[in-house]
Amino acid sequence: MSLRNAPMQTPVPHPDKTSLFRPDIRAEIDHWIAKYPPEWQQSACMAALMIVQEDNGGHLTTELMDKVADYLDMPPIAVYEVGSFYAMYEHKPVGRHKICLCTNISCMLNGSDHIYQHLQQRLGIRFGEVTEDGQFSLKEVECLGACCGAPMMQIGKTYYEHLTPQRVDQILDRLEAADGK
Amino acid sequence: MNTVMNYLRSLFLFELLRGLSLTARYLWRKPFTLEYPEEKAPVSPRFRGLHALRRYPNGEERCIACKLCEAVCPALAITIEAEPRDDGSRRTTRYDIDLFKCIYCGFCEESCPVDAIVETRVYEYHFEQRGEQIMTKQRLLEIGDQYEQQIAADRQAQATVR
Amino acid sequence: MATPESITLQVDGQTLTARPGQMLIEVTDQAGLNVPRFCYHKHLSVAANCRMCLVEVKGAPKPLPACATPCTDGMEVATQSALAREAQQGTMEFLLINHPLDCPICDQGGECELQDVAMGYGGDVSRYTERKRVVQDENIGSLIATDMTRCIHCTRCIRFGSEIAGLRELGATGRGEHMRIGTYIAQSVASELSGNVIDLCPVGALTSRPYRYTARSWELHQAETIAPHDGVGSSLYLHLRRNQILRVVPKENPDCHQTWISDRDRFAYTGINHPDRLTQPMIRENGTLRTASWSEALQQAADLIRATRAERLGLLASPNATLEEYYLGQQLMTGLGSRNIDHRLRQVDFRDDAVNPPYPWLGCRIAELEQNDITFLIGSWLRKDQPLLNHRVHQSVRAGGQVIAVNPVAYDHNYPLALNCVVSPAQMACELAGIAQALKADTEGLAVTVTHAHQQAAEQLRAAQHGSIILGTAAQMHPDYALLRRLAAHIAQAAGLNWGTVGFGCNDLGAWIAGAVPHHTTEATTGQHAAQMQQGGCDTLILLGLEPEADVADPQQTAQALTQARVIALSAYRSPLLEQTADVILPIGVATETSGSFISLQGDRQSFAGAAPPPGEARPGWKVLRVLGNALELAGFDYPDSTHIRDAALQHHTTPLPDNCLGPDRAALQPQATVHNWQRIGGVPIYATDAIVRRAAPLQATPDAWDDTARLNPRMLAEHNLSAGAAVRLTQGEHSITLAVCSDARVPDGCVWYPTGLPGSTQLGASFAHISLEPA
Repeated sequence: MSLRNAPMQTPVPHPDKTSLFRPDIRAEIDHWIAKYPPEWQQSACMAALMIVQEDNGGHLTTELMDKVADYLDMPPIAVYEVGSFYAMYEHKPVGRHKICLCTNISCMLNGSDHIYQHLQQRLGIRFGEVTEDGQFSLKEVECLGACCGAPMMQIGKTYYEHLTPQRVDQILDRLEAADGK
Repeated sequence: MNTVMNYLRSLFLFELLRGLSLTARYLWRKPFTLEYPEEKAPVSPRFRGLHALRRYPNGEERCIACKLCEAVCPALAITIEAEPRDDGSRRTTRYDIDLFKCIYCGFCEESCPVDAIVETRVYEYHFEQRGEQIMTKQRLLEIGDQYEQQIAADRQAQATVR
Repeated sequence: MATPESITLQVDGQTLTARPGQMLIEVTDQAGLNVPRFCYHKHLSVAANCRMCLVEVKGAPKPLPACATPCTDGMEVATQSALAREAQQGTMEFLLINHPLDCPICDQGGECELQDVAMGYGGDVSRYTERKRVVQDENIGSLIATDMTRCIHCTRCIRFGSEIAGLRELGATGRGEHMRIGTYIAQSVASELSGNVIDLCPVGALTSRPYRYTARSWELHQAETIAPHDGVGSSLYLHLRRNQILRVVPKENPDCHQTWISDRDRFAYTGINHPDRLTQPMIRENGTLRTASWSEALQQAADLIRATRAERLGLLASPNATLEEYYLGQQLMTGLGSRNIDHRLRQVDFRDDAVNPPYPWLGCRIAELEQNDITFLIGSWLRKDQPLLNHRVHQSVRAGGQVIAVNPVAYDHNYPLALNCVVSPAQMACELAGIAQALKADTEGLAVTVTHAHQQAAEQLRAAQHGSIILGTAAQMHPDYALLRRLAAHIAQAAGLNWGTVGFGCNDLGAWIAGAVPHHTTEATTGQHAAQMQQGGCDTLILLGLEPEADVADPQQTAQALTQARVIALSAYRSPLLEQTADVILPIGVATETSGSFISLQGDRQSFAGAAPPPGEARPGWKVLRVLGNALELAGFDYPDSTHIRDAALQHHTTPLPDNCLGPDRAALQPQATVHNWQRIGGVPIYATDAIVRRAAPLQATPDAWDDTARLNPRMLAEHNLSAGAAVRLTQGEHSITLAVCSDARVPDGCVWYPTGLPGSTQLGASFAHISLEPA
């Protein structure tokens, strides 16, 4: 037996892939599939899950993962494995703004605990929870590679560094204002 | 010379006198015979008498049907059958000890990971019918229930050396 | 001297030779050097994730995993050096951190790889004082019990799923501390080979559910036998306690089934001690059956046989009987002057008996299937009929081979098919003729138009270096079996491939060799074949080990024939039809209770001894037949034991087996299958093949057990205004049954898929025949 893995293929490809996703989503996933050799289209799994998650308002469901599996001709369990491994995939509904606060060593030494306390007070939620109005959710993450700016957090695709309670307030005020609240 | 001495010894019943002197010595000492069954000898907490199956304080039987006692028994006196109970736990459906086969070595007790099978201080029992010597699970549990306090105290007393 | 083909290396001071690129652990295993391991398995890919097999390699800064370190020339390896031991002990300590200390209640206790390795490499006291992790169990079906807290994440079960079972059902979800092995959505594992994960699991995380908590490994004794349910002839170990089979595990046989066995072979033992077992001889007196002594029953049987004219006396044998039983049955009939003996109970088309190959067999060795460039399945759900042959075909596909199929149902295979031709049973011969035409082979007079698909199949067949054409059980039950077989032979000849049949039972070939067929002996006369006997051609029928309502082609006709005839049944199980019709019932043992031999599809004769005595008064079948022969005062029934019968039966048998070529002088055949309004697609589901399997409760609780619905494709349902789940009445002949329909896109138009061997189908007729369907 060799060390090299074979692509994981289902015996019978899904007969009608157009029924799985909207055309724009399909186009996005196809863009990623095109980057890999044809027999390795499963490599687009992570990107496909990201695209589908974003379209679904920030979280994945078993049905969505099944669809991705069908679309990429993978066994569903292989997609569940990817979806449950990486921290950026959510399996429960999240707020409109997902606040990912780093509590890893550098941030912790620079006071991420205070930031967390402040966020808890301001939003009334703890890690893994969503505010009642569905605007914010809070998530504890490990190092995001911005130790030079510790403590830091990520909201959406933006990094916010050198956080202080005041700066957190400013950021959240801005977001709330942008949401028209 | 030797012959003469032997002759004299047998003539004067020297051995008999020596033997009687021992009797005479004990005749005036306090007797240490016990008037069993009115009197009972003291029993060690390590005594290996009649077997019992114990329960936990909440009434759940301890035995988990691991069958180590059955495997270790040098006299093949233990027979166990097991299956999953309704709640999914591993339990015996049959736990028989043949007391005619048992040699009271205590290995079953030693091997038990949950202190379920124990040998109590009870040594007074008899059988009147053929087949009564098979201690069933039911009877073993009843003995356990009856002597639980003493069994627990004995295990406690021995806890540091077991 | 090192050559490019072999290199030498030093392991623990020993000089070993290896192929370049061979993994170190394979070489140490061959040399008998013990390297501890959990994730490595010789038939699975290398994962190197347990880290238990770390060894010291001179020149490498750190210990290397032996399972993922290719051998190089002049390598110096120490498996027991201080560094290696320290690494192994460190790994062991980590593995034991989260492993629960529940060995006393673990079914793996006493035969656990983790226990064994921990004895050698583990510390006596754990330094870990934190809380151990607990994992919720999933219910993954009636065969496998899970205790996932015990899992050490070796991923053997996951790799088995994707590489051997061909169906990745288990996976590792989550990561780090939260990683867990499971199905994620708690579903039943639906592979026909799933039980092998029980053997693969090095700890007690995946254990056998039927065996759960019943025994410990040290109280079992082991007996060898041969699997009595399919023609692969897997070697098995039966584990018994007090003469009761408590579980079945595989015995390795690289030529045959490697280390895998099918779930059917593994769990069928649960049906052996069913309440239906016959334990007393019975005779019919004044219309009712009563128990009798053996001498009484045998006397009655002998009287019935004597009172019957030889040409009206028949013997129907199950395809699962032993070679010895077939031979004695054949001798009994020959001695009485009759040739009415057959074991092809489910076959309906016997037109080609005169030109049959001498021994229809697989046509190649089982291991050769793995080298096939192409495998052509005709009327075969190989995956469910013969799971381990299918495993070989699956391996050939993984190595780049192709599979094409002509089937009456789009059976699900665990590999992609290059061409899957699904047609109604009546069209199967035309499709084959089309391919034959495209190969310019004989089409048996069928006029066909060659389609693109035929051309494509022909191209692929012609291009293949090695290939097999396999006629499966659906082909064998087909009304045009003779035609299908001839076409397969022509295609094979034209494309230069071998062809073979994969029929029913474990000893089809043994029956042919022992002469349990009406033709095909040194004598010129031929007797009645199975269908003629089922149609009432006999006044007295001897049934050898079969359940007449489930093991035959046409249960309806058989019931009628048995009602009219006198019936002497040698049977292990009671069944309603037997109790209604049998005049004498002689209880016999099942395969694990008798000594005997099976001849596998690849022609290997494998003998076995009885592992447990039959229950009650039941006796091994060969002994009953021998005494019956004595009672009838026939010559040649004085064998002292079954090995003498075997030697007599095999005196003309040669290995290797001859090619499956058809004889010359073939008469023209007309297709018999006609297109009706509704055509029934029969076949036998995987867990309805024989009396033992049908009574194995754990197997009947799997998703592979037929759910007692009739299956139609959604188009047909819509056309006839039926909704899935609606009740319909199926009628064949005078009998009809009412059952629910179910939508199944695999069924072709105009067909109803409802197999035989089910409790409901005992009322119906032949498998591939006209059936009428109306809403009930």
